[in-house]
Amino acid sequence: MESGAAMSRAFDRIGTWIGWAFFADLASGLTLTFGYMFSRPVTMEYPDKEKWLPYSRYRGHHFLKRDAEGEIKCVACELCARICPCDCIEVVPYEDEKGNRRPAKFEIDTARCLFCGLCEDACPADAIALGQQYEFSSFSSRDLVIGRDDLLGKPGKATTGGGVVAARLNTKKDVLVETNEPQGYNWWRNIRRT
Amino acid sequence: MELIVALGLIVFKVALLIAILLLLPLPLTWLERKIAGHMQQRMGPMRVGWHGLLQPVADGIKLLTKEDHIPADADRFLFKLAPILALAPPFVVFVAIPFGESVSVLGNEITLYVSDMNVALLFVFAVIGIEVYGVIFGGWAANSKYSLLGSLRTCAQMISYEIPMGFAVIGVVILAQSMSLLDIVRAQADVWNIVYQPVGFFVFFVAGLAEAQRIPFDLAEAEGDLGAGFHTEYSGIRFAFFMVSEYVIMVLVSVLTVILFFGGWNGVLIPLPPVLWFLLKVAFFVYLFMWFRFTFPRYRYDQLMAIGWKVLLPLSLANIIITGIAFS
Repeated sequence: MESGAAMSRAFDRIGTWIGWAFFADLASGLTLTFGYMFSRPVTMEYPDKEKWLPYSRYRGHHFLKRDAEGEIKCVACELCARICPCDCIEVVPYEDEKGNRRPAKFEIDTARCLFCGLCEDACPADAIALGQQYEFSSFSSRDLVIGRDDLLGKPGKATTGGGVVAARLNTKKDVLVETNEPQGYNWWRNIRRT
Repeated sequence: MELIVALGLIVFKVALLIAILLLLPLPLTWLERKIAGHMQQRMGPMRVGWHGLLQPVADGIKLLTKEDHIPADADRFLFKLAPILALAPPFVVFVAIPFGESVSVLGNEITLYVSDMNVALLFVFAVIGIEVYGVIFGGWAANSKYSLLGSLRTCAQMISYEIPMGFAVIGVVILAQSMSLLDIVRAQADVWNIVYQPVGFFVFFVAGLAEAQRIPFDLAEAEGDLGAGFHTEYSGIRFAFFMVSEYVIMVLVSVLTVILFFGGWNGVLIPLPPVLWFLLKVAFFVYLFMWFRFTFPRYRYDQLMAIGWKVLLPLSLANIIITGIAFS
């Protein structure tokens, strides 16, 4: 029995040597890279063709919410301005015709903002939140100071996310998403991972 | 009159050859980056032109407009001479390379080679040997330790591998009874040399990889441990010269492999034009070079020397002896 095991070990070793002599290891490496060459690239062609949809928990550009009557929810308590670690929110309150406290001025300097989301946590009226928009670069830091009316118009939280949708780079304005498919497709579906 | 026509034809051929060889690195760099990208699941160049086709042109313009910097303590004459010495020999070699028998244009037979030398093979190896001077001068003149180390390695590597490379083709010469590349291809009309000379092909191709300084034998550049090897200090157009030379040598080794071992422009099974057959085979070997580059790691310096002297040289000598006995 023992000699049989020794024999098979010897044959294994001879097989390995023959493999080395005919470059079996090099050949297996070459087949691997050849297989990868015809697999799908993992590159997301971001500004040119595709774009990633953020998840609902994503902290993008801030937005202000309206209540059921279409009025701004913010009560101008300035808690967000107080908790802000980089002091980038400026709120000036006023009293509207119904006698409610509302913001006359609500400015966020997104150039200084670090998108921590503490303003969202601190807000007692559920008026401010961080939404899904992440493309708002600018040539001037002055353009990054966003006022109340702009904040009301910003897109809200994403409902679905993680998918990739078709997009197109418009050098005049910004990246446009051109799809009716809200979900996008699963990026990892066709990618070789072994 | 006849003399003028013949002379004009030669001048035309040489000019065409130089133009093609100078432009060849453009598609090849694109191809190399594309192959590299896809093997690593990337896309490679995509932004300039359709699928990045104009990327090499953009790179060329960038290289031409870069500052041509010469280090303060460099040997200025040798520093300027080295890129030219590296660039010229691969171009000169192509004078002796045939790309086919002949084509008839307007009733005149025009040969697809500049000259049919009877010692073409010797000429090829002699001229390729000069290329090492460009590398040595480049490394020495730059007065930088990385350049010097790179050029020392390259020097040792090229000299060691030229010996088995030269020995490997002797089997082919014995089979064809001629050193003319045209006769060597004609001798392979029925059976390609790879059938009789598998060992010769192996030695030639491995030594060719080392001569072209491609992975797994690219110790001269070894970007991981030497910066960029002998052309660390080069920039702008002088660096471009080294790059062009590297790509032309890669094509040259592919062309020589096809002519010596894979039947040149002789086709099998599918009747294609001979020139097309030739180009297809060369393209395959160029692809093989790139495929190797993005698959294999680099050999260590002592392993490189051991492979050259302890494996390839005895193999090539045994190949000569066996071929000599079998075909005498």
